[in-house]
Amino acid sequence: MKQIIVFGYSVMSLEVMKRLNSKQHTLLFVSESDEEAERIIEQGFNTTVIDFRNDDELKAIGIGSSADIIFCFYPTDSDNVFLTISARALDKELSIIAIVDDPESAEKLLAAGANKIIDPYEICAKRTHNMLTKPDVTNMLDNTVFGQHDLNIAQIEIPKGSYLEDSKSSDLGLAEKYNLILIGIVDRELGDALHFAISEKKHILNAGDVLVVLGPSNEIKHFKEAVNGGYICWN
Amino acid sequence: MLARLILYFAYTLKRSPRYRRTKLFFYDLLENQDSQIKSYFDMFMICLVMTSVLLLIYEVNNEFNQLDIIFEYIIIALFIWEYLLRVWLCNDSHKIFLEYYEKTRYLNIPFRLRTALRLVFAQKIAYMLTPLALIDLLAIVSIYRPLQILRVFLIFRLLKLFRYFNNIKLFADVLASKRFELYTLAIFLGFLIFIGTISIYLLEHRDNSQQISSLFDALYFTIVTVATVGFGDISPQTGGGRLVAIAMIFSGLGVLAFFTSIIVAALSEKIQEVRDQKTHSELHRYASFVIICGFGRVGQHIATQLEKDKQRFVIIDNQEERIAKAKRRGYLAIHADASRNKVLKSAGINNKATAILCTTGNDVINVYITLTSRHLNPDIRIISRANHRENVKKLYQAGANDVLQPFEIASLVVAEYVGQPVAFEAIVGIINEEKNFVMETLCVHSGCFLDGIRLADIDFAQRKLMLVGIISTHALHQKHKNRYALKDQHFYFNPTAAFELQAQDLLVLLGKEVSIDYFRYQIESSRPKP
Repeated sequence: MKQIIVFGYSVMSLEVMKRLNSKQHTLLFVSESDEEAERIIEQGFNTTVIDFRNDDELKAIGIGSSADIIFCFYPTDSDNVFLTISARALDKELSIIAIVDDPESAEKLLAAGANKIIDPYEICAKRTHNMLTKPDVTNMLDNTVFGQHDLNIAQIEIPKGSYLEDSKSSDLGLAEKYNLILIGIVDRELGDALHFAISEKKHILNAGDVLVVLGPSNEIKHFKEAVNGGYICWN
Repeated sequence: MLARLILYFAYTLKRSPRYRRTKLFFYDLLENQDSQIKSYFDMFMICLVMTSVLLLIYEVNNEFNQLDIIFEYIIIALFIWEYLLRVWLCNDSHKIFLEYYEKTRYLNIPFRLRTALRLVFAQKIAYMLTPLALIDLLAIVSIYRPLQILRVFLIFRLLKLFRYFNNIKLFADVLASKRFELYTLAIFLGFLIFIGTISIYLLEHRDNSQQISSLFDALYFTIVTVATVGFGDISPQTGGGRLVAIAMIFSGLGVLAFFTSIIVAALSEKIQEVRDQKTHSELHRYASFVIICGFGRVGQHIATQLEKDKQRFVIIDNQEERIAKAKRRGYLAIHADASRNKVLKSAGINNKATAILCTTGNDVINVYITLTSRHLNPDIRIISRANHRENVKKLYQAGANDVLQPFEIASLVVAEYVGQPVAFEAIVGIINEEKNFVMETLCVHSGCFLDGIRLADIDFAQRKLMLVGIISTHALHQKHKNRYALKDQHFYFNPTAAFELQAQDLLVLLGKEVSIDYFRYQIESSRPKP
C-alpha cells in the first residue's frame, strides 16, 4: 500500500486519480478551497483542504512520515516549484512527480528536487508523431497495453530463494511456459539500467534483478506466483 | 467551305493529344511560374538581352561587323518566336471557335464565320494590348534602326527584362493596388504644376524674358522646383516669382513625402503575400509533406520531432507571433485560418499532403478543421487533438482517423510510473526510440520468402530480433489464441510455432534498428519483381 497525495485541481489530477488502482494505493487529494473539495468528493476521492505554503499543514497530512508519493499538479509552475522545495525539505525519500507547463521550468523543478517531470504537451506530441510514422505499432499498443484489452507490461523482481536465481536469462522460455514475452532485464550487477532481452549479453539472474515482461495479466499473475514461490506479492 | 475546313481543323486540334502535349510544354517553358525549365529559360533570356544591350552600347561609337549583325538577327528571331508563342499560348482559339459553333447549332441560328473569327481574334488582340505584350512587340520593332526616332524602341529591349524578373512584376502590382491614392496625388500634382506654371509665366515673363521666354520654360522651371531638383539654369528674378518658388518647394516636399509613404505602405502590405507565395512554391516542390494546424505547445514539439526525421511539413496558424516563431526556427509557415477551404487547398491538401494534424488548444476549432479537411480530401490521414474527453467522439464523427488526448496520455504515463517504473521506462523507451531499440512492423509481401512459412522455420533469435506478435486481417489465423481485436484487423500476441504467415501480414518486431532494417531488406529483395 502506497500513500499518494495529489496537489492541485486540473484535468490531469482527475485523470490520474481515476487511473490509479485504489486497491493498491491510498489517495488523498489536497484542495485549495471548500468548493473545489466538494466537487472532488462527489467523484469519490478522499479530499482535504490545506494551504500548501504552510509546512506544518503539509506535515499534518503525512509528508515526511506516511506519504510515499506526491503529485504536484498545479497549473502554474511556480506553485509546483514551491511545493516541491517544501516537500523535499521535509522528506528526502519522498517520490515527487510534477507536471510542467513551460518547458523551461523543467530544470527548475528538477533542481528543486522533483523525481519525475511530466510535460503533457510533449508526450502528446510524441504520440502524434508516432502515430504518423508508425501507425501499426502505435495502434496495436494503444489497443492492448494502453487500452482496454488485457495485455499488460509488468515488472517482476526476483526475491531471495526464488527458483529463478542463478538461471540464465536466455533459458527462461517464458513464451512457451507462460505465454509471456521477456522484454528486458535490470541486472543489478551491471547497474540499474534496463537491458533488452535481445542484446548479446546473457544475464545470470540474481535476487533483486527485475524482469520486464509483456503478456495477459492472468499469465503475469501466474508467473509472479511461481517466482515468489507461491505468494502473490504486488511490487 | 472555308468554315467547314476550319471547323474540321478545330476538332482535330481538340482531339490531338500531341497538340495538347506541345502546348503544355511551351506553357511550362514560358508561363508556368512553378516549372523548372521556365527559370532556366528566363535566365537564358536575361543573359541574351544583356548581351544585346551591351552590343547596342558598343554600336553608339562603332560600326557593326558581320558577326554582330548575325547575332542581332538571331536575337530578334528569338524574340519573334517568343512573341508568337506567347500569343498562341494566351488562350485556346479552337475551343472558342467550337463553343461558338456548338452554340449556333443548339440555338438553331446560322453559323457566321466572321463572328467566330472575331471572337477568336478579340481575345488575342486583348492579350496583345497588355503592357508586357506591347513591350515584347516594341522590342522586336527595335531592329529597324534607320529612323532615328525608332531608336527609342531600343529601350523596350531593356524593359523586356521585366518579363524574366518576377520581383519587378511585384512592383507593378504594388502601383496598381494603390491606384486610387496615386490618382489623387497625380491630380493634386497636376493642379500644382498648372498653377505654378501660369503664375511664374505671369510674374517672370515680362522682367526676366531671357530665362522665361515661353510657357514651356515656365513649366520646366516649375517641375524642376516641385521635384526639389533645382538645376539653377533658370531662376526667378522678381519678388513675386521667388515667393511662388518657395511655395512650390514646400508643396513639392509634401507631395514627395506622400508619394513615398504610399509606395512604402503598399510594398509592406504586399511583401507578406510574396512570402506566402514563396512558401507555397516551396511546398509545391516537396514530394510529400504533413500539414500541422496550430503551432502551440503540442505543435511545436511535433515540428521538432518531424524535423529530426527529415520529414517535410508546413505550419498553419492564425496567430502572428506563433508564425514568427516558426519562421525563426526555419519552418515553412502560413499565417491563415486553417479552417477555411481556400487555405487548406492552397497548402496542398489535395496535392502532396499525406496527413493533417489538428493540434490547436481549442476543440471547437479542431473539429472544424477536421471536418473541413475530410470534406476536401476523403483519403487523407487526419490526427486530431482532443482537450476534453467528451469531444473525442465528435472528432471521430468529423472524420479524424486518430484522436489523442494530451492529459489522458500524460496521466497514463504517471499512473504507470507510480506502479511499475522500470516496465514503463521500457515501453516509453521503445516508443520514443530512446534506447536504440525500436518496435517496428514489417509487411510480409506476397511472394517473398516469408510468405506461407511457419514461424518455427524462421530463426528470429539468430537475426537478433524478437517477435512480439502479428497484425493480420487474414481469416485463416482466427483459430489461434491470444487474439486481440484492433480497428479492422487482429493482433496475435506471442504466436505459436505452428502459425503460418500469409501475404500482407504485419510482423511486430522488437530489436535494434540495424537488425530490423536488414530483415526488411531481405524481405524486399526476395519479393518477386513486378
